[in-house]
Amino acid sequence: MDSGVPQGRLLLTFAEEACAGSSLLPKARVAVAEAMGQDALVDAAAVIGIFQAVVKIADATGIPLEDAKAEASAEFRAELGLNAFSGE
Amino acid sequence: MMDDVRADLLTAIDGAWTRLGSPGEWLTASEKVGIAAETRAAMACPACSTRRQALSPEHEVGPHSGVSGLSPEIVDVVHRIRTDADRLTLNWFTRIVPRCLSEERYVETVGIIAEVTAVDGFYAALGIELRELPAPVSGSPGGVRSNAAKPNGAWVPTVSPEDIGADAPSVVQAMYRNRSAANIHRALSLVPTAMNGFFELDDAMYLPDAKLREFGIEPRAITHAQIELLAARVSALNRCLY
Repeated sequence: MDSGVPQGRLLLTFAEEACAGSSLLPKARVAVAEAMGQDALVDAAAVIGIFQAVVKIADATGIPLEDAKAEASAEFRAELGLNAFSGE
Repeated sequence: MMDDVRADLLTAIDGAWTRLGSPGEWLTASEKVGIAAETRAAMACPACSTRRQALSPEHEVGPHSGVSGLSPEIVDVVHRIRTDADRLTLNWFTRIVPRCLSEERYVETVGIIAEVTAVDGFYAALGIELRELPAPVSGSPGGVRSNAAKPNGAWVPTVSPEDIGADAPSVVQAMYRNRSAANIHRALSLVPTAMNGFFELDDAMYLPDAKLREFGIEPRAITHAQIELLAARVSALNRCLY
């Protein structure tokens, strides 16, 4: 599926290999650097790093989804099966 | 590779490591560095790997390959949060807090795990050898708690900005100065230094709150859309509902 975001496929592959600690990570890293530049690679790596942490905070403290976000996202959470990620 | 890293990001990472090596509010510096070491050790822990593959997170596994001298129960808390966070439940939490850890020590522990996970995740994504953990500085924990914290729908008490009085300590006053009251910001608010510390790092690694919706200005080398695509994918890979 195409995200519609420029260089989206490259970035998604980088995120997926980084989160998996995959042997394909170096290849994904080079692909991002060559297509988008070294600064973009650094900023992408930073987002990948911080969101691996944000999810730990959310899961370990049991914060609820805000009512407004829950309402706005109800349809696509159901469609994408995201409600299965609830820790309840 | 580190030569390519923005100065503000390097400063934020240095700040995280300075905090890590210093006495906290409810944990000593030695305990904090021990939690950081366990955060790393969990990634290669056979017991964690076995549990992660088990149908239930309650599956009995052997002892963790702990490296810190922390109690086995604390080691289990750290390893679970690092490797199996998406299967944590309120039932598990109430078995741990306050029997093994006070609410304050638990929240501070979560903050440490998060900061180490963020920095290590960044280094690993770039293929850089992980930064050596700091030597702990001696001293007593400060003991600052947000007295305005109360049950607010999360497992831990949290602080609402409107409940912060004018006489609250400056570290408490600072919590929402440049941040919304979103639940992810509130999550660590029981321990103000944990919240402020993590989100200083978050401002540099992700975006400061004020720039989140400034779509006409791109402060990074990747666009808002690219940032959010990465954030959403990483959250989904970690099976996080929030």
